[in-house]
Amino acid sequence: MNHDIDVKKVRINCYRQSKVAGEFMLQLRVPGALIDAKYLSFVQELCEEYGNGTFHFGTRMTFDIPGIKYENIEACNKRLKEYIKDVDVEMCDVDMETIAHEPVEYDPEQGYPTIGARNIMACIGNIHCIKGNANTQELAHKIEKLIFPSHYHIKVAVAGCPNDCVKANFNDFGIMGINKMVYDYDRCIGCGACAKACQHHATGVLTLNKDGKIDKDTCCCVGCGECVIACPTSAWTRNPKKLYRVTLGGRTGKKNPRSGKLFLNWVTEDVILGMFANWQKFSAWALDYKPEYLHGGHLIDRVGYKGFVKHIFEGVEFNPEAKMADDIYWAENEQRGNMHVMPLSQHEHAGPQA
Amino acid sequence: MGYKVSFEEVNRIFDRLQGEYEIWAPKRFAGKGRYSDTDIVKYDKVSKVEEIEFKEKSDYPAKEVLSPITQSLFYFTEDEFRESKATSKKLLIFMRPCDINAQHHQEKIYLENGGFADMYYQRMNEKVKIVMMECTEGWDTCFCVSMGSNKAEDYSLAVRVGDGELMVDVKDDDFAPLFAEAAAADFKPEYIEKNQIELTIPEIPNKEVLTKLKSHPMWNEYNKRCISCGSCTVACSTCTCFSTTDVIYNENTNVGERKRTTASCQIEGFTDMAGGHVFRKTAAERMRYKVLHKFHDYKARFKDYHMCVGCGRCTSRCPEFISITATVKKMAKAIDEILAEEGK
Repeated sequence: MNHDIDVKKVRINCYRQSKVAGEFMLQLRVPGALIDAKYLSFVQELCEEYGNGTFHFGTRMTFDIPGIKYENIEACNKRLKEYIKDVDVEMCDVDMETIAHEPVEYDPEQGYPTIGARNIMACIGNIHCIKGNANTQELAHKIEKLIFPSHYHIKVAVAGCPNDCVKANFNDFGIMGINKMVYDYDRCIGCGACAKACQHHATGVLTLNKDGKIDKDTCCCVGCGECVIACPTSAWTRNPKKLYRVTLGGRTGKKNPRSGKLFLNWVTEDVILGMFANWQKFSAWALDYKPEYLHGGHLIDRVGYKGFVKHIFEGVEFNPEAKMADDIYWAENEQRGNMHVMPLSQHEHAGPQA
Repeated sequence: MGYKVSFEEVNRIFDRLQGEYEIWAPKRFAGKGRYSDTDIVKYDKVSKVEEIEFKEKSDYPAKEVLSPITQSLFYFTEDEFRESKATSKKLLIFMRPCDINAQHHQEKIYLENGGFADMYYQRMNEKVKIVMMECTEGWDTCFCVSMGSNKAEDYSLAVRVGDGELMVDVKDDDFAPLFAEAAAADFKPEYIEKNQIELTIPEIPNKEVLTKLKSHPMWNEYNKRCISCGSCTVACSTCTCFSTTDVIYNENTNVGERKRTTASCQIEGFTDMAGGHVFRKTAAERMRYKVLHKFHDYKARFKDYHMCVGCGRCTSRCPEFISITATVKKMAKAIDEILAEEGK
């Protein structure tokens, strides 16, 4: 077979190259990973009509449709028009005609305009889970509006609690719903269920004291809410103010996979959204306004943590409870020896280049 | 006398009452439920009728007003002590019929049991005036009709909530002047006559059957299902158990206070004795104790009625979905089995 395919262009369109020449796998975004079940039959239709009849659960919670022949991409893209409109434009209020704060032309018949911002993953969160502290879908939708469409690569996941079932910890930004629980001394019967639950599930910061009430080591509380779930009297309750922790710089990869480090703690949604509103601006600056398919974490590495923080929180006001890492020392799982040691000519540089 | 009173007028009446009364009613606490973005309805002081949750059964019972979960009994310094003061105001409490009946069941324990009146309970109880909240629909966990506690006539006021107004039946002359300017209306409260659940409480004919029932394998199920958290007894409108704790203010002085705190027969350690003896070691034994107490022992002692009023809060609050009515039905089946075995 004789092919003349610009695979980079096709990739930007969210079609991934197959080992079978001329075939691609489409990845449909599902920000927040919850969607009306009616789209399942739509996905089935696409799989059967344009793909090879199989379906894959995307590892970032996308609908993956393998085996789409290059010549069918145009027709397939036309079919995506309604789905993208429903999911991105209407559910997430995404402005498809702006990329990195610049106006762009958008043709809804041409499928996805960019692949840079990867699908925002989320666990089911507090709409279902008894452990969840946050509505993960709602937050994911708000973030989607800020980071998509974009040519700048970023991986975000939202977990309802610090148990992190969605493995937000391995994303550039891992967000987890937490809460500063409220203790009502007079409702406490000293049963110790919270202390047991905290010891078993979390960080063991609660102890039953000699008065039959609870002492708390506030320093190490992860804000998970196990105490609230275990409490038979509602002595422990959630604070109406919803808060989040954010880990930074987690990633998988061949070169230097690593877990994210604690970056923000006890921040409000406003802080998180203020931060993501600066992401595309930061990325553009770091890459000297030349988008490339480079993982977001690498941009932070290039700029350095302190520089990143200066850019990303421009104009962002912190809530009084908020804490931020003064510095971050990532521990890397070096799967290739001496990976940072190289000729000076190969060193990467951030910001405007001479 | 019956009246129809707008919320605005009710709030004016509340304002006039506030000097003499604390007004307590079920109130919704948004986001304070066991799980995220769920609410809790519990008793609290109210100053406006709009604060009262009329549409949903409270998660926690009215007993919390009279016998708070934690209560200071007295304060001590070396060999002297001073009793805590009760509220100086009277208590006007909005209660459904199940809660009103539950308070009478509690009176038996606090004021009559053992020929000794608990003064801390008594001094609160004397201050209570009841506003009966009409309850004609109930909820899926209710079985008040089966327990004979769907009706309560001994109220000062009875109310039916409407759209921005209350229908009020005034029985207590103390409150009549407050309604002097209100529009008279023909109103008598109605009561629920049939719950979604009907429960027949089995009779345990003799001690022999009771002994056999205690060791019946039906209880073993709860060793696997019950987590012994005590949510059921805290939510129970009739449970009265408490323990006392001396809180010493300073390690070096004999200054402090004695508090009493709600206790639960379901929580491990409830029957721990000096010397290490424990009466009920397993969740199943604790469950058996509670069920028999509510549906046999109390009535066997006080004769006239079972302790349980069928409010269903224990079922509603159980995080492991253990239904009290399903449990009583299992117990009835076990008793039938024992009787059939005996008849052979």
